[in-house]
Amino acid sequence: MSAREAKAAAAQRGRFSPWAVVVLVVAVALPVVPFVAGVSHFVLSIFMQATTYAIAVLGMVVVLGYTGQINLAQAAFFGFGAYGLALGTAAYGLPFWISLAIGVGTAAVAGGILGLTTIRLGGHYLAMITISFQQIFDLVAVNWIEVTHGPDGIPGIPRPSVFGYALTDDRAYLLLCTLVMYLLIAAVWWLPHTRLGRAMRGVRENELAAEVVGVHTLRVKVTAFVLSAALGGIGGALYAGGFAYISPDNFNFNRAIEFLSMALLGGAQSPFGGALGTTLLILLPEWLKEMPRALQFIKDVYLAIYGLAVILIMVFMPEGIWGLLKNAWARARKAPPAPQVLRVKPLDLDIRITESTPMLRLEGLQKHFGGLRAVDGVDIEVRRGTVHALIGPNGSGKTTTLNVVNGIYKPTAGKILIDGDDVTPKSPHERAAHGAGRTFQNIRLFPTMTALENVIVGAQRDNNPIEPGHQALRNRALSALQFVGLADKAETAVRNLPYGHQRLVEIARALAGHPKLLLLDEPAAGLNQTEKMELVELLKRLREGHGLTIFLIDHDMGLVEKVSDRITVLNFGKKIAEGTPEEVLRHPDVIAAYLGEPGHATA
Amino acid sequence: MRATLRAVIAAALAFGVCGAFADTIKIGLVSEITGPNAEAGSYTINGARLAAEQINKKGGILGKQVELVIEDNQSTNPGTVLAFSKLGGNTDIPAIIGPIRSTQVQAASPTIAKAGIPVMIGGTDPSLTHVNNPWVFRCRPNDSFSSKVIANFGVNTLKLKKWAIVHSTDAFGSGGQKALTEALKVYGVEPVLTQGYTNNSQDFTPVVLAIKKSGADVIGTYMTNSQDLGIFAKQLRQLGVTATWIGSPSIVTDTAMKLAGEALHGTYGIADFNPDANAEAKAYAQAYSAKYHLQPDVYSSWAFDALNVIAQAINTAKSTRPDDIRKAILGLRNWKGVEGTYNFDENGDGLRGYNIVKNEGGKIVYVKHISSPK
Amino acid sequence: MEALANNLQVLFQGLALGSIYALVSLGFVLIIRATNVVNFAQGDFAMLGAYIMVACLTGAGAPYWLAFVLALLAMAAFGLLFNFGVYYPLRHRSFLPVLISTLGASIFMQNTVLAIFGAQPRAMEKVLNFDGLHVGGVFLDSQYLVILAVTMVMVAFQYFFFEHTLVGKKLQATSQDKDMARLLGIPVALMIAITFLYSATLGGLAGVLVGPILFVSIGMGSIIALKAFAATIIGGFGDVKGAIVGGLFIGVVESFAAYYISVPYKDAYAFLMLFLVLIFRPQGFFGEKVSEKA
Repeated sequence: MSAREAKAAAAQRGRFSPWAVVVLVVAVALPVVPFVAGVSHFVLSIFMQATTYAIAVLGMVVVLGYTGQINLAQAAFFGFGAYGLALGTAAYGLPFWISLAIGVGTAAVAGGILGLTTIRLGGHYLAMITISFQQIFDLVAVNWIEVTHGPDGIPGIPRPSVFGYALTDDRAYLLLCTLVMYLLIAAVWWLPHTRLGRAMRGVRENELAAEVVGVHTLRVKVTAFVLSAALGGIGGALYAGGFAYISPDNFNFNRAIEFLSMALLGGAQSPFGGALGTTLLILLPEWLKEMPRALQFIKDVYLAIYGLAVILIMVFMPEGIWGLLKNAWARARKAPPAPQVLRVKPLDLDIRITESTPMLRLEGLQKHFGGLRAVDGVDIEVRRGTVHALIGPNGSGKTTTLNVVNGIYKPTAGKILIDGDDVTPKSPHERAAHGAGRTFQNIRLFPTMTALENVIVGAQRDNNPIEPGHQALRNRALSALQFVGLADKAETAVRNLPYGHQRLVEIARALAGHPKLLLLDEPAAGLNQTEKMELVELLKRLREGHGLTIFLIDHDMGLVEKVSDRITVLNFGKKIAEGTPEEVLRHPDVIAAYLGEPGHATA
Repeated sequence: MRATLRAVIAAALAFGVCGAFADTIKIGLVSEITGPNAEAGSYTINGARLAAEQINKKGGILGKQVELVIEDNQSTNPGTVLAFSKLGGNTDIPAIIGPIRSTQVQAASPTIAKAGIPVMIGGTDPSLTHVNNPWVFRCRPNDSFSSKVIANFGVNTLKLKKWAIVHSTDAFGSGGQKALTEALKVYGVEPVLTQGYTNNSQDFTPVVLAIKKSGADVIGTYMTNSQDLGIFAKQLRQLGVTATWIGSPSIVTDTAMKLAGEALHGTYGIADFNPDANAEAKAYAQAYSAKYHLQPDVYSSWAFDALNVIAQAINTAKSTRPDDIRKAILGLRNWKGVEGTYNFDENGDGLRGYNIVKNEGGKIVYVKHISSPK
Repeated sequence: MEALANNLQVLFQGLALGSIYALVSLGFVLIIRATNVVNFAQGDFAMLGAYIMVACLTGAGAPYWLAFVLALLAMAAFGLLFNFGVYYPLRHRSFLPVLISTLGASIFMQNTVLAIFGAQPRAMEKVLNFDGLHVGGVFLDSQYLVILAVTMVMVAFQYFFFEHTLVGKKLQATSQDKDMARLLGIPVALMIAITFLYSATLGGLAGVLVGPILFVSIGMGSIIALKAFAATIIGGFGDVKGAIVGGLFIGVVESFAAYYISVPYKDAYAFLMLFLVLIFRPQGFFGEKVSEKA
């Protein structure tokens, strides 16, 4: 970071400082309050519950808010932590911290196993899988009496000592819980700014795109579940220590729903939201009890109101209360200044061509869907440093071919070689790590992330030849944005960008990964005439002297003709022609194929 | 945001504590107002309210009117802990009537010990009064007695020796099953079948078939939910099992009898409360029916006794200091309540007897009272 | 002989329970097909229908069949309300907000009914005026026979309705491709509203039918719905045939497993089956392989 940049960043941070200081002071002062002012046991208990629940809800923030994976088993993870601690200390006489570690470890392992099921299943299936897991946990906790002590639960759970000071005093224990919570809030808050955090958000926003630009999505999801479960475990263990007694009904499905609601109410995408939601939902019933007599009826129906509130939150404030506050805050102050694009280095795209072997080779490629032979024995060689177009009428198998090339589909038969290596069995993110970048016909960006963040996700693919560290990633991404002419839009959320710009961001995202092979799926689709012209210019800049190999599909013959070195034509899944644009477009079979469907020749 | 919330709630609570009136005696009541057990909770509140009304009519406690401070425990363990810590932190409250669910008492036990005031409970898990917590007093006979009474009646009175035990796998059910197995051992009886089930089962066919196979001639049950009891009862009769059935108190609740109807005719149950068991019970049943237009049951009767025991103890001790009340409760001898005659032992168990009742054509008929020596 | 009778009894009971799951599962399938969303309040449709019937019977003193019809009509109206309150505002969002919204609806419905009716479970009369039949040592509960019959009728009706009526075909078109349906001039929003209406009625029907056996209680729908949902997935997401087979499969498996293995773990078997099916055949028995298009 240059001195000027550092200064600018500091100035930007300075805008928050009075607030940040106030919040910090209050946060530090709070846990100390009970030591100076008399606070009843009840208030301490409530906040012991709030802090420990909040830690579990932080897990929901990671898995649901950041990664977009539904988890209806958080109460089970909370339970693993609690049972680990309770059984370790009260039943087997192990030290507190070792028992806690066992509990949290078990939770994390269980979370990992649950996360692994996402290898094949998402969405509703995941909802059902996690519910099943939660139900089985409950049944086992109740019925496996020899181990879990069954429905009687486990009494007499001790509290730990810290530096020789036993935390038997509620105030001291609450202090510990609060500190742990602060620490974890900070960690969860920091997470989105890391490599892993960006990958998580990428998975949430568009899993397929994340995979294709090089995110190991399964690993990210499993990690999210492991972190979520571990946070649940920590919360559960601290809860068990705080209340000295646990029984299975603390960890049932209703509690899981409660954790979910807490996260949603406060705002699942922020740890502050999670903590806020937890505190509100724990205090809400207590507030209702304090209401004047005329409103006492609310007490009888507050769970109904709570259900109604969940619906209303979903409809009117999908980002929860924290999201509302944040947006209001953002509106109140001026728009953030565009990053000062001072000295963005030109984008390095150079690929040295040392061999004459093709960059991409498809050998006898077949892809069948049931009886439909979408790709039926295609051989293509794409030479290094060239632009190679794949054309053909609708349904001729172009997009399927592209999807097989970057691993979204597994071929029925045949081989794919990228840069001489057989990548046929590899997943899309492995191919990205091998230097294959891609864009999509229907743009697949991460809509709520900024243009810069989108492109950084592209830059952080494995084996990207850049320096380590966040600054290098950021520089690389800025260079890529600069290359497509959008450096000034770096801090804008991409959903707020016009369509044409979104397409450019997608290309920048692919370029940031320094690809050897760039796959473009109908890059001109949906662009107006001016934008198409700009795209042609961009493609020409890309092919000039960088050594980059481009393999593209498009319907726009004008564009294809202008930018391609070679063209392959597919029809009904088979190659019918190949050669230079002049040769191919005059080829009788090609003309016949297009005349058969005249609408597409000019589309 | 969190910060301000916390400050606000602390302030609100502080006000609540300070704004007390000194001309009443406040007695806490932790019960279920919301959540799945709200039904039972409402009866408990009924019982305690009736007692408060009667005590106040007679001049109150130490000349002051009784006021119940009711805290909802949301039918959950954490809710119970919170409710107790709230009431326990209120220095105006010298005693609390606690919940009827055993796990809730267990969860709150550390909090009760910390608060250091007498708590009357209705949970019947024997261990509740055996965990070195001097502040817990039970106004119902515990399950070790219920199982002794079931075993005694089945083996001695009905002369039945082939026992099947059916129980819910929750705390109440599995505790009861253990105790009944122990109690039968005294008579040299080993159950031919012990079968657990999870609450809210939709089908008891496997359980009934197992009973049929075992050839049991008497079934002892510890079932928690009346739906389960109803389904089990119907299927038992449908599949032709005619064995005698002696059930824990849930078998004689109004709800269970409504749900199961004829299927429960001819069964025996134990009840710590029965309107025909003694004069106090008779008077109570009349007053309760007149006030609420409901049949009194165990959920209300024990709470009625609990408040009266507290009142008696405070009046005897002439003090509202928790320690004095505690000593006065332990000093009560042959105190006649609607649930029976109370003599609190050093653990805090007040009752040792049960009434045996029979469901005759949908009417509960008093059979006999069996009191078990300690 | 007795062993055979016992096994047949267990089988009958499994099929009977399974047909309840299947009936509720049918409602799931319809909504999944129309909206691509799992309705977590489907079980509570059953609960609500049963309570409305109880209210008509005991509160208003209506005769049995009038109460029956009133309950179904009320559920149809409620289905519309549900569509406009819970689904419609979120129709353009991803599945997650809608799923959570239906969870909220479930909490709302259960606790509203709790506030009105109290927690005490209620009994209900059987449809037929006799308890059941004894056939060779096996007891066939009359209500279960009714449920089996109704399930079969509803399956036949659903099949006929979707394949052979104009509205049914429009519904099918809507469920297959909303955009295409819109282009063809099919009123998609109306079709989805009809789906919710029908689905809620179906749920209510399940509720009034199981009421006499499982009794009417706040939680009666939840556990049935979870199993029915498992049945829906096991059968193949969004497949009518699969819903039936999945429901019966779960009913029979859990019945036999409870009989031969362990009663307390009865509720675990359905979920265990689900785990296995999801791991080894995620598309379910009848479903097509799921894969996302790029």
